[in-house]
Amino acid sequence: MAIRIFIDEQEVKAEPGESVLMVARRAGFDIPALCYHEAVESIGACRLCLVEVRSGARPGISTSCNMKAEDGLRISTDSPEIRRDRATNLELLLLRAPGSPVLRELAARWGVRPRLQPPPDAGIANCILCELCVRVCAALGHNALAAVGRGEKKRVGPAFGKPAEGCVGCGACLSVCPTRCIVMKDTPAARTIWGQSFEFHRCQVCGQPVITEKHRAFAIAKRGLPEDYYDVCEPCKQSQASQRFASVVW
Amino acid sequence: MCASPASSPRPASVSPAWSGEKAPPLVVGAVERTLVVMPRRCIGCRTCELACSFAHGGPGRMARARIRVHPAGEKRFVQITCLQCENAACAKVCPVQAIARDERTRALVVSLERCVGCGLCEAACPFGHMHFDRETRRAEKCDLCGGNPACAAFCPAKALEYR
Ligand code: FES
Repeated sequence: MAIRIFIDEQEVKAEPGESVLMVARRAGFDIPALCYHEAVESIGACRLCLVEVRSGARPGISTSCNMKAEDGLRISTDSPEIRRDRATNLELLLLRAPGSPVLRELAARWGVRPRLQPPPDAGIANCILCELCVRVCAALGHNALAAVGRGEKKRVGPAFGKPAEGCVGCGACLSVCPTRCIVMKDTPAARTIWGQSFEFHRCQVCGQPVITEKHRAFAIAKRGLPEDYYDVCEPCKQSQASQRFASVVW
Repeated sequence: MCASPASSPRPASVSPAWSGEKAPPLVVGAVERTLVVMPRRCIGCRTCELACSFAHGGPGRMARARIRVHPAGEKRFVQITCLQCENAACAKVCPVQAIARDERTRALVVSLERCVGCGLCEAACPFGHMHFDRETRRAEKCDLCGGNPACAAFCPAKALEYR
């Protein structure tokens, strides 16, 4: 059953328990967010999605990605306090990821200038430790990534620091990374990511890479399509289909 | 040549029969309105590809078009786009259920907010019509433009119609 929440005094419909950030975005409100992804649980890591709760027992500024919609909830998405807190959080993220284009663009837009120096060793360059890659990798069933270490020493990478057994080289971690800090290298021969190299399964028509062998094996085992579905590349499948349709038409 | 194994998912309402003036056309998609593809009328101008890439926010880059014109012999062309399969391979392999049927248009639509960019759907589509964009790192496919397909609107030969 649908409920109503109020965003900047505007009434918006939602499902109970939906992420307030998701509801707000759907209604066209522009709330900055880096570590949020619809496919996985939110953990409120980047702290840019701050909004102010104006109803209920616990009013105040809070992250919206992991806030659940409840009937009658009232929030505002903009105020001097919200802006101040978002700016502070951005400044801290910039210490981790001074070179990240996304962060620099936000900083330029919000007039944020970092007052502190980045620590000498920040781990993977431009990683903000939001663990979105870790969460997505787990949701896909590969469980190849983890946050290792605590405090200043915290890093994201293959669990136990060794090439992870579960990694199939799909590259979803890179796809969702908000600062695009994960390095993946494709050569005609193989794909390299997280210190591992993956051979490609090749198109049986033209020899171009289709998918990594390991990703293909995982998909066949877990997702239930016949093996030969992964044997031909996108352009070759298209021309095969066109010839098939042509033979029907003429 | 056969495009896919016999076990391939069946398109929603393809009548792989004759197309053109007298014959029943190839029908793709919806219950209410369908994108009707008529290769016999196609003149190979690729306006549909251009319209598609513009309609989807690209700067007119033909490489992003979700419909393709393929040569099929002397002065013959076949336009291919997503068949909006009933039992679609792309939706089946998607590990995060990012591909869902739009109830209104009956198109299978990729949610860019939900897609995690693993690339599996591109590898799995038997017709080569799921595209993984290497820049945005998200899956892209024909969404029937939400109910007003640009390819059909711009086709000068009436080889594509939405009716
Ligand atoms: S999006 Fe909410 S904390 Fe990052």
